[in-house]
Amino acid sequence: MDLIQGTLDLLILGTVAQGPIHGYGIAQRILLLSREALQVRQGSLYPALHRLERQRLIKAEWRPSDSGPMAKYYVLTAAGRKRLQQDTAEWQRYAGAVALVLRF
Amino acid sequence: MRKRAEADLEREIAHHLHELTAAYERQGYAPEEARRLASRTFGDAGQIKEEVRDEWWSAWLHSVWQDVAFGARTMRRAPAVTLAVVLSLALGIGANTAILSLMDVVLWRDLPVPSPKQLTLVHWQSHGDPQGLMDYQGGELRDTVKGTTTADHFSYRTFQALRDGLAGRASVAAFTFTDPVSLSYRGHPTVGVERPVSGEFFTVLQAHAGLGRFFTAADDRAGAPATAVLSHRFWDRALGANPAVLGQTILVNNAPCVIIGVVESAFSGLSPGDPVDIYVPLHNADWMDQIPGGLANDRFWGSAMVARRASGVTDAQLEPVMSTLFRATWDGHVMSAGTEPSIHLVPGSRGLSFLWSDYQRPLLVMGGLAGLLLIIACANIMNLLLARAAARQREIAMRLALGCSRTRLMRQLMTESGLLALAGGCASVVVGYATANLLGRFVDPYFQPIPISLDTWILGTAAAATGLALLAFGLFPAWRTAKVTDLSRYNGRAGRLLIVGQMGMSVVLVLAAVIFTRNLLSLRSVDPGFDPHNLIVFGMRPSTSGYTRARLVPFYHTVEQRLASTPGVAMMGIGQPRPLSPFLWGGAQVQLPTDTLLVRNYRVTPEFLRLLSPAVTGRIFTSAEVHDGARVAVISDDLARRLGGRDVLGHTLRFSNRPFGRNPIPLTIIGIVPSMASTSLVDWRPTVWLPIDTGEIAPEVTVAIRTLHAPLTVMPAIRQTMRAIDPDLPLIDLVTMEEQIAGGLQRERMFATLCNGFGVLALLLSIVGLYGVMSYQTSRRRGEIGIRLALGALPRNVAVMVLRDGVTLVVVGVLAGLPVVWLGARYAEKELTHMKALDPLSLSLATGVLLAAALAAIAIPALRASGIQPMEMLRRE
Repeated sequence: MDLIQGTLDLLILGTVAQGPIHGYGIAQRILLLSREALQVRQGSLYPALHRLERQRLIKAEWRPSDSGPMAKYYVLTAAGRKRLQQDTAEWQRYAGAVALVLRF
Repeated sequence: MRKRAEADLEREIAHHLHELTAAYERQGYAPEEARRLASRTFGDAGQIKEEVRDEWWSAWLHSVWQDVAFGARTMRRAPAVTLAVVLSLALGIGANTAILSLMDVVLWRDLPVPSPKQLTLVHWQSHGDPQGLMDYQGGELRDTVKGTTTADHFSYRTFQALRDGLAGRASVAAFTFTDPVSLSYRGHPTVGVERPVSGEFFTVLQAHAGLGRFFTAADDRAGAPATAVLSHRFWDRALGANPAVLGQTILVNNAPCVIIGVVESAFSGLSPGDPVDIYVPLHNADWMDQIPGGLANDRFWGSAMVARRASGVTDAQLEPVMSTLFRATWDGHVMSAGTEPSIHLVPGSRGLSFLWSDYQRPLLVMGGLAGLLLIIACANIMNLLLARAAARQREIAMRLALGCSRTRLMRQLMTESGLLALAGGCASVVVGYATANLLGRFVDPYFQPIPISLDTWILGTAAAATGLALLAFGLFPAWRTAKVTDLSRYNGRAGRLLIVGQMGMSVVLVLAAVIFTRNLLSLRSVDPGFDPHNLIVFGMRPSTSGYTRARLVPFYHTVEQRLASTPGVAMMGIGQPRPLSPFLWGGAQVQLPTDTLLVRNYRVTPEFLRLLSPAVTGRIFTSAEVHDGARVAVISDDLARRLGGRDVLGHTLRFSNRPFGRNPIPLTIIGIVPSMASTSLVDWRPTVWLPIDTGEIAPEVTVAIRTLHAPLTVMPAIRQTMRAIDPDLPLIDLVTMEEQIAGGLQRERMFATLCNGFGVLALLLSIVGLYGVMSYQTSRRRGEIGIRLALGALPRNVAVMVLRDGVTLVVVGVLAGLPVVWLGARYAEKELTHMKALDPLSLSLATGVLLAAALAAIAIPALRASGIQPMEMLRRE
């Protein structure tokens, strides 16, 4: 299933909110949690990650990964947490509204 | 920075591939196969990197745009601050740019000719006046420090000797001063400026002909056909840049000359703003007809010289050789030993030296003042931004708490300063351009306005100044804001310090304004020795309009009769030279008992003298004496004093040179009149009045008219009368005497106007700064003041407290400025003709104005502080 425009940032923020995680981990977790429905292509993942980093919604640090070598782990900033709350609420209102319309 | 980001991205992608490969391996693929699958799943790494880089870019652009938009919003929210900052910058930078551009053109820029550094101007220098060597001189002569006389004119024979004697070491060309002429091309008359030059002139300067050819030695000899070379400007403006003028005839003072060439457009003449329209060979110079023998007269010193050194030759090597050659050409001996002149070479790369030597000091003074103004402006801006930064402390603290990095915050604040600097910089280019043009016009009334273009130099200067200002007022508050948590305590001290500095510099500028204005006013009120009101003068050159000797006497008679009976005219006279004209022509040497004295000599009709000087001891010569060429003279009372007081009436006046082309004739002194200013209001020189020889072909005669009422109302009638007498005779510089006096004070006026502008701006800027700091400080002390009032302090006490605080700042500032004032005054003193730089009146005026303005600025916050309601304040605390 293709991602709806603009939801990738929200998905990344939501995933990062659960704890420090690297790029590969983010893609895997989204795939896993969506029961393999949402496949994030690397071609969109990394630009999005760097965009969010530049916007200071997430920040990164290098630390050893579970498998051994150093990996770039992303965590949420204060501004990112605030944005996540706003965007989640927005998304729920949107999804709810769409559901209301379609139930008919 | 960028490099690390690239390396990080590389590692991040490598890690992703590593994890993918590991996952495939866990699914049972062989390592080789797993790696292949991983890289296929991942996709094009290069493409992904490219997209990530795009994100970096747009994020950066986005944040810059955010900064700019935010900055613009901040600027709009505080329009008064924004306007104050932009105006401060525009005026501060604009004034500096203008002065610097003018200094560049006048003081520093080389002539636009090849290898200008090889050019050298030939002057002579002597200790004391080298009397006895010359009867006529034409050119610049100045008495410099310690009795040294420097001049730029030589006999033609000296020029020939130097030209021929230096062959191989230097090439030499001669020229003379410029002279106004009437020009007529195909029946279209106009006036222009002529410079006679020797045949080598253009070769030595290595100027190129835009059209046709230049003079050769064959054109510049006695009896050669008359030729002329046009300046590019004249050819362009007066002749419509028509190439067909080559070989055509142009009338120069009614004498036909063949146009042989036009100078290239880049050649500006011998100085910036050189007004020359037409060059003629030296031997063809019109005015030399006045001198017996002309160029062949070795006692006529009227040729200036410019030389081009051969490479490897220095001025120091040339000077003794030239001095020897010079000495061998003298016709006569100096009257007092030790006054023998010797050659003195002056760098010629910047052209004629008098422009830059006259304007160096004034321009440096102006540059210094403009620099102070810019510093004041920057201090002001720093103050404004500091105060605003303090007011924005809460906003900034909140942004820091929300995760805004300090560098980002610094950038934000720098962007705001940058926007202000950009706006100020743009405005300053406009201000600078306008001011520079104005200044160029101010430089000298006898020159073309010096063209000062908005070139890369001026723009570069503005940009550099803007950059400096940005650093000065942008970085500092930004740094403090981002770094210091308790900004308020710090800001108070910095602001106060800035105010002290500003006040110190303002007192310098205000004092300069006061001094130069007083200088101008005192000059204006200088009594020229005659009544300048209701007086009209104009010049005419009948001899260049075809009047021969036989026609001149009846012509003057008609002019006298018709003008005297024109309505509104009380009296009119004819004479020469024009009173208060800057040219000192010839100059007669009067023999004193033990010495000689250079005097201004007028040759006039009795009415000319009477309308200038009604008071006379003894008598003025009569018309009959003028007609008969009587050997009588009226002298000024300062000359009478030098000759022995009142009893000189009836005595004999002798000249030590031959000013009128005859052997020295003894004259009988018949009258004494009050002395008067000669070439300018500041140049008073003993004067001799002689009967005019109306039959003589004079280069220019002056008509002076005393009017019955306001001179401007009589002027049309005068024009009409003259047109009725001869419609083809141009009236030269028809002005009122008051206009002429004002024109002669151009330099003083430039000084006064600029200083006034600077002073007013400095005052305004400092007062705004002072007001800002004082009201900011009292607003911060509201709590304290509230408590004081609650504890029983009277509102009056509070006001006095604030006032005292502010006045202390101002007084300390003024005191701090005094050493600068003292230093500056010593330097500027030489520009003051009628004043001492540091007199008590000027000092008290300047400090008084500053204190009064400062008091007004402090009074408002002081009153506001005294009006604080203690209860309200305490409740708020």
